[in-house]
Amino acid sequence: MALNDIKEGEGKSFVGGTHVPHYKSYTDSIAIERMAIPDEVVVHLSQHIGAPCEPLVAVGDTVMLGEKIADADAYITAPLHAPVSGEVTAIEERPNAEGGETMSIVIAAKGEQDAYQPSVERNPDDMSAEELKEAIRDAGLVGMGGAAFPTYVNINTDQPVDTLILNGAECEPFLTCDHRLMLERADELIKGAEILMRCIGAKKTYIAVETNKLDAIGVLDEKLGGRDDMEVVPLAVKYPQGYKSYLIKTITGRDVPRGARSAALGCIVRNVGTTFAAYEAVVYGKPLIERIISVTGPTVPDPGNYVVRVGTKAEHILSECGVDPDELDGAKVIFGGPMTGLAQDNLEVPIVKSTTGVLVLPPEMVREDMVYSDCVRCGLCVQRCPNWLYPNELSILAEHGVYGDLEDWDIWDCIECGVCAYVCPSNRPIVHFIKRAKPIVDEL
Amino acid sequence: MADRLIATPPPHLKAGNTVSEAMRDVIIALIPVSLASIYFYHYYAAFLLVLCMGTAAITEIVVRAALKKRHTLGDLSAVLTGLFVALLMSPGSPWWTAVLATILAVGVAKELMGGLGWNLFNPALFGSVATIILAPWFGFLSRDLSRLNVNFGPIDAISQATPRAMLMQGASLPDYGTMLLGFPGGALSETSPLLVIIGGAFLLYRGHINWRIPVAMIGTVAVLSLLAGGDVIYEMLTGGLMLGAFFMATDWVTSPINNKGKWVFGIAIGALVAVFRFGVGATEGVAFSILIMNAFVPLIERLTKHPSFSEPAPKPATEDA
Ligand code: SF4
Ligand code: SF4
Repeated sequence: MALNDIKEGEGKSFVGGTHVPHYKSYTDSIAIERMAIPDEVVVHLSQHIGAPCEPLVAVGDTVMLGEKIADADAYITAPLHAPVSGEVTAIEERPNAEGGETMSIVIAAKGEQDAYQPSVERNPDDMSAEELKEAIRDAGLVGMGGAAFPTYVNINTDQPVDTLILNGAECEPFLTCDHRLMLERADELIKGAEILMRCIGAKKTYIAVETNKLDAIGVLDEKLGGRDDMEVVPLAVKYPQGYKSYLIKTITGRDVPRGARSAALGCIVRNVGTTFAAYEAVVYGKPLIERIISVTGPTVPDPGNYVVRVGTKAEHILSECGVDPDELDGAKVIFGGPMTGLAQDNLEVPIVKSTTGVLVLPPEMVREDMVYSDCVRCGLCVQRCPNWLYPNELSILAEHGVYGDLEDWDIWDCIECGVCAYVCPSNRPIVHFIKRAKPIVDEL
Repeated sequence: MADRLIATPPPHLKAGNTVSEAMRDVIIALIPVSLASIYFYHYYAAFLLVLCMGTAAITEIVVRAALKKRHTLGDLSAVLTGLFVALLMSPGSPWWTAVLATILAVGVAKELMGGLGWNLFNPALFGSVATIILAPWFGFLSRDLSRLNVNFGPIDAISQATPRAMLMQGASLPDYGTMLLGFPGGALSETSPLLVIIGGAFLLYRGHINWRIPVAMIGTVAVLSLLAGGDVIYEMLTGGLMLGAFFMATDWVTSPINNKGKWVFGIAIGALVAVFRFGVGATEGVAFSILIMNAFVPLIERLTKHPSFSEPAPKPATEDA
């Protein structure tokens, strides 16, 4: 395929989904920068899918940057490392982005705060697949695109996996951290992909990028130099293109039945941020203590793509970007993108390994009144649902508490992407209804 | 710290489309044919249009107040229903039939069914057809209320037979061009098929209606007319087929939600129209056909339900308990 001929918006895609304005121009041309280190970090003990970690340190202990501070004796989990050097000041419940509280290790930064110094310098080619996987597990890697599934568990499969898909779709509006990473860290990303390919035994890697990032497609294509085990796949600009199942279907044509782990389909999908982290973990022994996030929004004075330590509070991030926390009346501060991210009312909440961005929506972009009306059966949600569900029926049944019928309408297949609520002319909070009903249906 | 951060659930962005915007566009799409009806029927048409829209608004306010619900005039659906009822009336109809049809449409077919979204039948069609059926029992009204009739003076077109009736009686109609552009005789909306089609094209362009229903419905009528030996072009241009296909059968609430269902629905309506026209010889075929199929929408929906993207595998084991 002649990649230099491809135009914005063109590319492969899936059936369903919708176009959402990108709002990416606030940060898509701003180079990645380091953010100043905060005075205090709050590291949630559970910030991945699987078993929560147990602290390995106690209040009063001194910790060094990158030192392992928590781990669990379980298969599905990921250890945690000190994001700053300093002293453990508390181990207690702290607010999380879901509106609840999570047991956390609080560390006050003390002394010199340097950038991470490599503990080793390894050549991945000299390492066995087992050694590579171990390095990834020890670094506490999890999916950094949002799902936070432990990467080690994902790649430690004995099923034959022929395909690795690097997810650089970044279909959520506003976010540009993956875009910048692909542009600025292309070499490391490709090396990271080689590492993952060796871990899972894949023969082919597809780097999936939406065609609103033509520069990234160009750079990656050039760096790949026509090698046949890796290929950039330009994707149509459509939300939610970056969801795993739709990427697999779009790129390999394979069906993704419910309940099937992607390894069973011969594919593993990894976010580009995770892949870059795998490179650093293997080559430098660097644990997942920091990540790139987009801090963005039309009114943010210094928006950008920042390398931020895990556990940094929203407060610090916003003030580093020139946002006055007292001037946020009526605004929304969102962790993640605007389609699925969660709005915060407490700026003490810290970012976790899978936080992709901090977005400030000014009052004029906030739909404060949640007034909605009955479904008028316009059919838009049915046409656009990427999972081919009937969001209209789901929302009506959930709204009226007819929980017993929700499984017939495949409530468990809903990926909570928000497309249905986005297009609904009656302004129905469909996803909200669905999310609220899921635990109840589970109890039935 | 900020006193008031908003923390409502995602998605935090919303496409700009609203119900009232869609209803407004349908009203806009009906302006050309409404003007044509005024051109042909003068005050008769203007009076019916104002009377029905006003009655619709009042009915909505009164019925919803009786049901202790907030009025929803803002979504424009009541006014639009009134407009539809007027367009389905013949210019010479007694004014009280227009009022009755509107009250039945907005009050019974829509509000008593639960409000916009819950109605099984297209409200305007229901109101008009129910009035046609009920009118004989209300004959006394014609007598008692005749004193109140407003007299706008004679219009030739009103006493003229409708094009459908002329077609059935074998009378000759004007040439195709005139029939397409504008010819009086039938209901307000039947004065100009061309302007109805232009309105329909506008709705298609704005994305408010799905092309499958009009294509299936008109296509079926065309094919069956051909088979029945009718004059296909006249069949297309008479009896409110265009209004039915573009504006009535495409009503969101009362048509199937997915594409397969829309095909089934459109084809079935077209077939019924042909049966009414060539089998029964009724002039109200389009309205009856759509109403009949409205009743089958729940069944069509069940039969055309498409499987989830994730369907192939058996359901996860978590569901039993
Ligand atoms: S949130 Fe669920 S129901 Fe709504 S569009 Fe996405 S997958 Fe479909
Ligand atoms: S988009 Fe909203 S109004 Fe339209 S069918 Fe879905 S739930 Fe109903």
